[in-house]
Amino acid sequence: MVGLLWSMVLGGYPRSRLARYTMRDLDSGRLSAFDGASRIALATAHVVGAQVSAGMRYVVDGMLDWHDLFRPFVESWRNVYLDGLIRYFDNNFFYRIPVFRGEPEPQRLVLPGRVRGLAPLAEPAGVKAVLPGPVTLARLGRNESGLEDEELVARIARALAEEVRGAAEAGAGIIQVDEPFLADMDATAEDAELASEALEVLRKAAGGKPLVLAVYFDVPRLEVFKKLTGMDVDYLSLDVGDAPSRAVELVKSGCRVSGLAVGVIDARRLYDDDLESVASLVDKVVGACRPDEVVLTTTTWLDLIPYRFSLRKTALLGRYAEVISERLGLEYVSPITSRPKEYIQG
Amino acid sequence: MAVEYRVPRNFPTTVVGSYPKLPPAQEALRRARRGEISEDEFSRLAREAIKGVVSDYLEAGVDIISDGEQSREDMVVYFAERLKGYAPGEWVRIFDNVYFRKPIIAGRIEWVRPMILDDWLYASSISQGRPVKVIITGPYTMLEWSFDLHYGDRREAIIDLARVIRREIEEFLKRGAEYVQVDEPALSTRPWREEVELAREALEIVFKGVNAKRIVHICFGRIEKIIPYILDFPVDQFDLEFKNSNFRLLPYLKEYGYDKELGYGVIDVHSLQVESVEEIKEAIDRLMKLDLIGPEKVYVDPDCGLKRLPREVAKAKLRNMVEAARIARKEWAGEE
Repeated sequence: MVGLLWSMVLGGYPRSRLARYTMRDLDSGRLSAFDGASRIALATAHVVGAQVSAGMRYVVDGMLDWHDLFRPFVESWRNVYLDGLIRYFDNNFFYRIPVFRGEPEPQRLVLPGRVRGLAPLAEPAGVKAVLPGPVTLARLGRNESGLEDEELVARIARALAEEVRGAAEAGAGIIQVDEPFLADMDATAEDAELASEALEVLRKAAGGKPLVLAVYFDVPRLEVFKKLTGMDVDYLSLDVGDAPSRAVELVKSGCRVSGLAVGVIDARRLYDDDLESVASLVDKVVGACRPDEVVLTTTTWLDLIPYRFSLRKTALLGRYAEVISERLGLEYVSPITSRPKEYIQG
Repeated sequence: MAVEYRVPRNFPTTVVGSYPKLPPAQEALRRARRGEISEDEFSRLAREAIKGVVSDYLEAGVDIISDGEQSREDMVVYFAERLKGYAPGEWVRIFDNVYFRKPIIAGRIEWVRPMILDDWLYASSISQGRPVKVIITGPYTMLEWSFDLHYGDRREAIIDLARVIRREIEEFLKRGAEYVQVDEPALSTRPWREEVELAREALEIVFKGVNAKRIVHICFGRIEKIIPYILDFPVDQFDLEFKNSNFRLLPYLKEYGYDKELGYGVIDVHSLQVESVEEIKEAIDRLMKLDLIGPEKVYVDPDCGLKRLPREVAKAKLRNMVEAARIARKEWAGEE
């Protein structure tokens, strides 16, 4: 039974000029760590403001100081080092390969401090904490640990569970696990099974906070998708905007999820997404899945487009969420709704 | 009188294109970004840099050389800035805190005037007879690494890009270019049949009737997935990256019965470690032992452009590559 609709961006933002220059000056030693953190906080406030004013139920801090999805985590772990650059899926973007030389052992936590810092900026929205999924991290990394791949995934999940626990305790309203590899053409049902086992570990650490499994950059293969829809997560997030017809075909093959995040605002192209096309796509996908809650989101993180376009896409997402909720007869949930009785705080 | 150079019949050595930016090129690009340089001054500095690059190639003994792409800030932006229909891009991150100004297609793309001809002509004039490759970014990569705000239809955009690239190549054919290389690194990032078919349609336009050696360079991605689809592309040679991926492509070439010429990447352009002559020779042996193609079809070269390496490292790598090819030539083809 479909009831609620709300929106959130999927992940990080591109760096504004302020953030770019700050990172540059930090790298070159022209700026102290303290001054750098203050400036990044200011740049973060801008992207948080954009999300809140667009009506997002949960907001992210934009991950402006993360060089890639994995970096802050693996840099805080023992037994992992970073090697050369390699292409990140089909993007003209490169990440440093995490090389596992043993079991990853967290030396400090990344997320709790960020969540605490973000909460006052996010008001009245809730805070979303985002972390890489264990399968994606293992598959895009290099295993020199001596552990079997499956065992490595389990150990990564254990390390990430500490982050999840810390984020939940720090006040994150929702926790998102990014597993873009599960949409990759090389992903198998076994990968999805591994992800499912890892998610169990993360779920236990989340202390009842809702969990999102985000799969993006493409539509997963059918055998993977079947496993995904059976997973114990509160929301499954799919990139349906990248290949809409394949996505619709896929969800029609059978889809049972309680919460469905529909990635419809194209985060890799600059065009304004067409409202009618987006509404029609949401209608088809939601009609096939019949989730309890629908979340409108971006197809991927917004960090692959220029800064001002990321703000534009954020605004479109908020606007379309409200219009589409009305068209589909769904209750629109937003911290800045003008309907007080429907107001739900993240 | 023009100097003549005989390219070896077996295992000729070549480069993929870019070379570390030499100081005059760095200065030219820096001043161009600030709008502080005239076209003539830019050209003068670029030539100074090209002269240095060609000198390095000649010293290393490379047979088929390039201009080192000294004028090009980036393989896409450079062309976008010179084609009608493109608008200046905004900063998009490539890695860490490094960005490029990803260009925006804002109108119908049209060729205006030659874009890389002057550099090629200059390099050819000082190459002591060695052929200089024409190296141009391909339509698929131009599209993939641009934002489109005009066409809304990928096929339409790529066909127009193919036409303008073809138009540019005509300038070289008129002047007797022997080697035309189209760079399509983006092709291996979306290795689906329909994408490869799109690229094929574009490359047919680019290469139709070209009477020079037609080369397509692809690197760093899932090349193995596209090999079965590209075998009948209208090209003479694929130039591929092998070393960085530990030669994992070789069995696939065997499996699919590859029989075109092969640009064989034996130098890792992401590593500062200089491959030894023995290491490179072993790589050549490895290919030859597959009994796939003869030495006359093997062009020994780096995986990709050398632009991210320090100049001395790039040069040392090329020197060893040339020596390894010389030994292989003698051993596998009895050619001195």
